[in-house]
Amino acid sequence: MSDPVGGAVGLPPPFEPQPAPPHQAPALAPTRPVYDGKLSELYGIYLRHLLLMVLTLGWSRFWGRTRIRRYLWNHMAVLGDRFEYRGRGIELMVGFLIVLAILAVWAGVIWAVWHFGLHDRAVPGVDIVNLIFVSIALIGVPLAYVGQYSGLRYKLSRTRWRGIRCAMEGSSWSYGARATFLNFANAMTARLLTPVVSVNLARPRIVHARVGTQGFDFAGNVGDIYGRYVGFYFLNILAWGVAIGIAAAALGGVIERAGFGQEEIKALGDLGRLRTILLIAGAAFGAYILFGVMILPLRCWWRAYLYRYLVSHTRAGNVLFTTGISTRQMWGYLVLNYLIVLLSFGLGWPWVMHRTLRLIANELWLYGAPDGSAIGQPLDKGPRFGEGLLDMFDVSGI
Amino acid sequence: MSLGPSAIRGRYYDGKTADVREVTVVATPGEVILRDVANAALVARWPIVELGVLGDSEHEAVPLLVRRNEEARLAIDDAEQRRALGASVPEIARLGAQRPSTAGRLLQFSVGLAAAVALFWVALQSGSDLLAPLVPNRLQARMGEGVYAQLVGQRPLCQGEKGLTALNHFVSQLAVAGGYDGPIKVRVVKDGPINAFTLPGGILILYSALIDRTADGNELGGVIAHEIGHAVHYHPIKGLVRQYGTEQILKAITGGYSEIGTLGSGGTILLALRNGRAFEREADATGVSLLEKLGLRADGMSRFFEELLKIEPHDPAAVAGIWSDHPPTAERVAATRRPPIGAPDFTDAEWQAIRTMCR
Repeated sequence: MSDPVGGAVGLPPPFEPQPAPPHQAPALAPTRPVYDGKLSELYGIYLRHLLLMVLTLGWSRFWGRTRIRRYLWNHMAVLGDRFEYRGRGIELMVGFLIVLAILAVWAGVIWAVWHFGLHDRAVPGVDIVNLIFVSIALIGVPLAYVGQYSGLRYKLSRTRWRGIRCAMEGSSWSYGARATFLNFANAMTARLLTPVVSVNLARPRIVHARVGTQGFDFAGNVGDIYGRYVGFYFLNILAWGVAIGIAAAALGGVIERAGFGQEEIKALGDLGRLRTILLIAGAAFGAYILFGVMILPLRCWWRAYLYRYLVSHTRAGNVLFTTGISTRQMWGYLVLNYLIVLLSFGLGWPWVMHRTLRLIANELWLYGAPDGSAIGQPLDKGPRFGEGLLDMFDVSGI
Repeated sequence: MSLGPSAIRGRYYDGKTADVREVTVVATPGEVILRDVANAALVARWPIVELGVLGDSEHEAVPLLVRRNEEARLAIDDAEQRRALGASVPEIARLGAQRPSTAGRLLQFSVGLAAAVALFWVALQSGSDLLAPLVPNRLQARMGEGVYAQLVGQRPLCQGEKGLTALNHFVSQLAVAGGYDGPIKVRVVKDGPINAFTLPGGILILYSALIDRTADGNELGGVIAHEIGHAVHYHPIKGLVRQYGTEQILKAITGGYSEIGTLGSGGTILLALRNGRAFEREADATGVSLLEKLGLRADGMSRFFEELLKIEPHDPAAVAGIWSDHPPTAERVAATRRPPIGAPDFTDAEWQAIRTMCR
């Protein structure tokens, strides 16, 4: 699959002009972030984190996460200046405990309703524990979005560049409501609203982010990307149809060639038989290969396009951003990284983080330089604690 | 001591704006002086007693020099120059610390991690053996009822009073002989599958299809004795504790990521199944020995297993191997085979009452 905007390695992608900038034109000298972390050093930090996790039954995760962030942040530099991460493990733990306490209160309320209102029986076979878990799962969906935004706010507030704190404005609750509504509407319309969701959730995250007093602007419009998405959408359906057709034909061919009779096909229903186990494993592997070859590259093609669009329509004062991330690189980011983590039982996480930061450093281009003297410290210092919701309801990673 | 104006260079951030100034750094006995590289203008004078280092050389590529209670920072990119400054000003010696050796740390933490996992595993095995009998009966029964509601739900129970009395009398005898001090009750669920199981809190579930399948009271007695074997060893509660513990350790070493959890649950299930096979062997052995201890017929268990083999010649447990929660049936037949001696497990009248209790 060709990549229309993919740039050669080491060269910046073509500059995509944006709507007329409100202030002075940027200097068109491109630079890239520099990442100089070493995988072995990252593994040293990660293995210690895992060791402490086992010894403390997971309670050291707040400090482990903080250490890893300190390493990653400080090994990434923009315009020659490294980032700093100044978060503390205790802040993450307190954030988690606060959310835990709130959930305990919530569970208490559910119990009170069940006990006093429903007289200890809501639905036959459903006990109070089921009720509490179901209710938490239900509120967990919107709260995960709230947690993503407030988690980003926390991380930015603990991030410094040239000694200046970053920040995030806006309400995480309004973001959570927006994200819940948009994702629900998208699910109800067979995902035809994906560009609306992508642009409208990216916008608040971009325009509310700040480096000190320097804000970001986003000039993206849903209409710009809808044509490409519709093409992707129907190609995707076609690819699924072809993949299922190939799978059915292949399965039929295998059954015919192996000379399976009616009785043997019936006998395959016996899950204990070795041949059934091997056949299921073979079919799963074949389906994965088919899915990997036909569906995922298409998805990566769309995602690469979306990322390029979002990045190239973002600016921070004089600084313009662009990326030439290709379908192949997106495959490495989305699929290969996933497989690394999955097949290594999580031990591949440092490698994935390392690969991701290298990708950012290779593929993010900045045009122009900020006027440092015009960027001041932000007035607020950010939240006192952080990421409780993210820790509770989301796969927060690092 | 002075290092000379050209010796050390750094990037100075004033903490008020995002401006950067290239500076030279000169350490004197009382202070560190920063001057602009371009015009030698004085940028800052930081008293040594107020200096601090942000970060460390293990995590930060460039630990920063700061003046306490100020937002300004100084970054000295060159590690040698940081070391030289750290050496000349003992208060900030940390600034010049060497990066720890990676190979040594990797080895140290890998070995530590493997040892911790092994230790946790051993603690879980022996800890569950030790703690399971200490879990209060009330709590065990509550957990058992929860599992019962999930597994059996609202399915009808057989209410034949004489049959139930006979069964409960039999299990009480075995439980006492096995030293089990909690209450133990039998519930007979109408119809299939051909199965029986024991839940925490001494709740013993028999399906009527199993009773229909047994040839005589001694075969049924063998099956029940096997279940009592589970109860007296607290297998249900031990199984729950081990599965929970295994999930926790897996969560800890994989970082608790949900995708890993999905894959990891496969490993947890395998471990639970391994526990299952060990528990089944122990329950078989205990069941037979309890019957012998009471002077009852102990040949029923192996005969029942032989019946199962007749129904299912391709023994799923033997084919599935490590995927099976039971040992191969042929192995169980061999391990539990006993001569047909002793008093019958149930009298004729009791057996008749049990056979008809679901009608």
